Amino acid sequence: MSFYRGRNHEIPALNTASLPDLIFSILFFFMLVVHMRKTTVHVKYQVPTATELSRLVNKSSVQYIYVGYPMNEKGEAISKNIVIQLNDKITTIPAIKNYLLHLSASLPPEDRKALSVSIKADRRADMGTILDIKQMLREANVLNVNFSATMSHSIKY
Amino acid sequence: MMFRQRERRKVPGLNTTSTADISFMLLILFLVASSMDLDKGIARQLPPMEKEQKQQTAVDGRKVIRLAIDANNKVTMDGKNVSMKDIRQRTEQFVNANGKSHLIQLQTDRKASYDTYLHVQNALVAAYNAVRNSKASDLFGKSFDLCSTEQQQQIADEVPIRVSEVYAVSANKPTTTEKGGAE
Repeated sequence: MSFYRGRNHEIPALNTASLPDLIFSILFFFMLVVHMRKTTVHVKYQVPTATELSRLVNKSSVQYIYVGYPMNEKGEAISKNIVIQLNDKITTIPAIKNYLLHLSASLPPEDRKALSVSIKADRRADMGTILDIKQMLREANVLNVNFSATMSHSIKY
Repeated sequence: MMFRQRERRKVPGLNTTSTADISFMLLILFLVASSMDLDKGIARQLPPMEKEQKQQTAVDGRKVIRLAIDANNKVTMDGKNVSMKDIRQRTEQFVNANGKSHLIQLQTDRKASYDTYLHVQNALVAAYNAVRNSKASDLFGKSFDLCSTEQQQQIADEVPIRVSEVYAVSANKPTTTEKGGAE
């Protein structure tokens, strides 16, 4: 009787001493792999697919232009009209030129050459909008453009 | 004597139970505040404003491909309907045959969709990449991406990307010409 009682008493506690180390290693992994979000996107867009993709180089000098449908906080499209967002606010096409001209005037010449624009446009956008944006970029003398797209494995030539 | 001995033995361990919670919170903060999207896309070079009219004169009429995308997203090459596959293959043959002196003219209607436009661009880039890769393996025995910067420059000089885009900027302005993607 006393033998059984003695055995029931001691259930060893789970040793969680190495749990923090485990979580920390996951944390460090994420810190290395991801990059921080700088802007809130107010535009709903789905980029087209393509196969011949290249990476964006020199990310610190990239300006982002989003083209798509305006959306609310829940992420639902609220209008059928195409809007344009430059970095963090929604603008109009002529305002892009002024913004880029101001920006490149404030940069030293070597950074000015590296200045580039990534256009993240919805696949249903009309070419009129895109052509107007391209024309504004030319007028602002920002000539490196990257049309954002996702890799497609179904396109075969 | 007895009293002192007992005191020396008891050093309590540091309680680290909550370290896991703290690091979990840091982890969740990073998951929420960051994004993992890989920025990839088709890189193009726009032509500078002042050099608009120059390159038109030097090109022979037989060495030009005229691509057009109309308002219903139909793609035509020299007046005939073509698929993306045709564009890629014919552009590749054409660039191989004509070398530096070729020109591809791309005319896009303002009502065409961006998706179609980017697919045409993609087909053109694919054709150029194929030509450059075969050139690179002939000259240096490796693909274009693996060549050094000088070797890439040499190939880019021999196979320049000559795509000119003609479009009406808006309804009341005259058309302008754009020569794209000479990197």
